[in-house]
Amino acid sequence: MLEFCHVNINCGLVPVLDDISVTFQKGRITTVIGPNGCGKTTLLQCLNGSSKVTSGRILLDGEDYLAMPLRERARNLSFLPQVRTIIPTLPVRTLVEHGRFPHLGFARRKTGQDIAIVENAMALAHVAPYAEQCADTLSGGIRQRAFFAMTLAQDCDYIVLDEPTTYLDLSGQRAFMEMILQLKKQGRTVILVLHDIGQALRISDRLVIMQDRKIAAASTPKECLQQHIIEDVFDVRIKEFSDGEGCYYFFD
Amino acid sequence: MRKKISFLVLLLILCLFSGILLGSVPLSPVRVLRCLIGLDRDSTTYILVSTVRMPRAAGACLAGMGLAASGVILQSVMNNSLASPNTIGVNSGAGFAVMLTLMLGGSYTSAVPAAAFAGALTTTLVIFGLAYMADSSRTTIILAGITVSSFLSAGINTIKLLDTDIAVNLTTFMIGSLSGITFDALKFPAAAIIAALLLSCLLTKPLNILGLGDDVARSLGLNVLLVRMILLVLSSVLSGCVVSYAGLLSFVGLIVPHICRRLFGSDARYLLPCSALLGASFVLVCDILGRVLFAPFELPAGVLMSFIGGPFFLYLLFKKKGGRRVNA
Repeated sequence: MLEFCHVNINCGLVPVLDDISVTFQKGRITTVIGPNGCGKTTLLQCLNGSSKVTSGRILLDGEDYLAMPLRERARNLSFLPQVRTIIPTLPVRTLVEHGRFPHLGFARRKTGQDIAIVENAMALAHVAPYAEQCADTLSGGIRQRAFFAMTLAQDCDYIVLDEPTTYLDLSGQRAFMEMILQLKKQGRTVILVLHDIGQALRISDRLVIMQDRKIAAASTPKECLQQHIIEDVFDVRIKEFSDGEGCYYFFD
Repeated sequence: MRKKISFLVLLLILCLFSGILLGSVPLSPVRVLRCLIGLDRDSTTYILVSTVRMPRAAGACLAGMGLAASGVILQSVMNNSLASPNTIGVNSGAGFAVMLTLMLGGSYTSAVPAAAFAGALTTTLVIFGLAYMADSSRTTIILAGITVSSFLSAGINTIKLLDTDIAVNLTTFMIGSLSGITFDALKFPAAAIIAALLLSCLLTKPLNILGLGDDVARSLGLNVLLVRMILLVLSSVLSGCVVSYAGLLSFVGLIVPHICRRLFGSDARYLLPCSALLGASFVLVCDILGRVLFAPFELPAGVLMSFIGGPFFLYLLFKKKGGRRVNA
C-alpha cells in the first residue's frame, strides 16, 4: 500500500500541492485523472524526486518511503516519467538493461537472472524483435514500449506510469492495457495517469480524481460514475453503453 | 568491439613512435629504437629523444586523451551533443586562470595546473548554473558558452597587453601548441589527467544513466546532482590540466567523441576509453604534421586541428540536417 499523508509538494521553489492525503491499494490498478494542470504529474513526481516534498509523509507498505536511499526506492517502485525529450542512441536491449541499474549499482556485473528479467521485460512489452536496433531509429510508439520495458526490468512491486499511452496508436493502446492487466495478475500494484477517461474507467480498480490541485475523489469507477464526480470535474456528460463484451463510455 | 579497441591501441602506439621519430631533424628508426630501450645513452639522438621528442609525444598523447574524455563527459552530463570543453567556454576559463597566475608570478610546475583546473571548474559551474536556471535548450547553453568564452578571451588579451613580460607566447597559447614541453612541466598535469581518466572510466555506468535525462535517471535511483557534480569536476580536471601546458587546443573534445559515437555507439563503457585513445592519436598526428609539413618551420598543433576539425564539424552539422539529430 502506498499512502500519501498530508503531503505538501514544491515544484522547483513554487508550492504546488497542499495537504494531499491519498492511498493507493496494493495489487490494484489505480488511475489518476483530472483536467490539465491539476497537479497529477507533480503528485507522482515526488516519488522519483523530480518534485520536492516539503512536509508530510509517504508510506510504502508502512515504511517511510522518503527516508529510503534513492537506490532502494528504485528497487521497490519504478516510475516512468511523462515526456522524454532525450532520445538515447542506444540499442533497445542496452536501454532495457539500464532498468537493472538499481539492483546492480556501480560495480556488480549482470548475472543470468538479470538477463532473464531483461528478456522477459522485452517480451512483455513486445520489443524483443527490436532488441538490436537503436532507439533513435524507431517510431515513437515502439520507443515508448522500449522505455516501458526498461521500467519493467526494474522488477518492482509498484509500477507508476505517467501517461504511458500518449504515443501509442489504437492497437498499441489496446495491447498496452492487456500488459497492465498482466502485471496486475502477477500481483503488482499499478498506478497510472491517463487522459482517456473511458480507458481509465474500463481498466482501473480505483480512480483518484484531481481538481484544482486537490483530490476531488478517490473511489471505484462505479461510485465515481454514480456520484457524477467525473461529470462535475470535467464538465461533461457521460453516456454509458454496454454489450456482451463490456462497457463503453461516451462524453458530450 | 575487441578488434576495434585493439586497432585503436595499435594506432596510438604507431602514432607515439612516429611522434618520436619524425620532426625537423630526421632520425633513423633503428637508432630511436635503441635509445628507447636504453642504449646509446651518450648519442645526440638519445638526448633529442629523451628531452624533446618524448615529453612532447607524451604531452600530445595526454592532451588528446584528456580533451576527448572531457568532451564525452560534458556531452552526456549536459545532454547536449554540441557540448565540449571548447564550445562551452571551459578551455577559455582555464586559459584565463593560467594567464592570471603567470601574471601574478606563479611557477609553471604546480600553481599553473591547479589554477587551470580552478578556472575550468568555475566556468563549467557557471555555464551549468545558467543552463539549469534558465532550464534552457542546447542552443542556449552553447550561446552562453560562446559569450563566456569571448568574455574570458578579452580577459586573456587584457592581461597580455598589461603585462608584456609574461612568459607565454600569446598566439601559440590561444591556438594550442605542444612545442617546448619538458617532463618537469608535465609531471603534475600528467598525474592528474591519468587519475581523472581512471576515475571517469569507473563512472561510465552512471554516465550512461545520466544520458537518459534527469527524470529517468532519478527513477532508476541515481543521485543525479551528486553524480553530475563529480563528473563535472572530473571533466574540469581533464581539460584544465591539458590547457595548463598545451594552451587552448580546439575541436578535439568535440570531434573525437562524435567520430567514436559513430564507430562504437553511445554506450559510455566503450565510448569513453575509445575516445581517449582516438583523441590521443589525433593530437599526435596533428602535432607531427605541424612539425613535418613546413620543416624547419613549425605550425602549432592547434592550427592543423582547426584546419581538419573545422570542415569536419561543418560536415557533421550538414549531414544531420536531413536525418534525425543525435541527441545524447
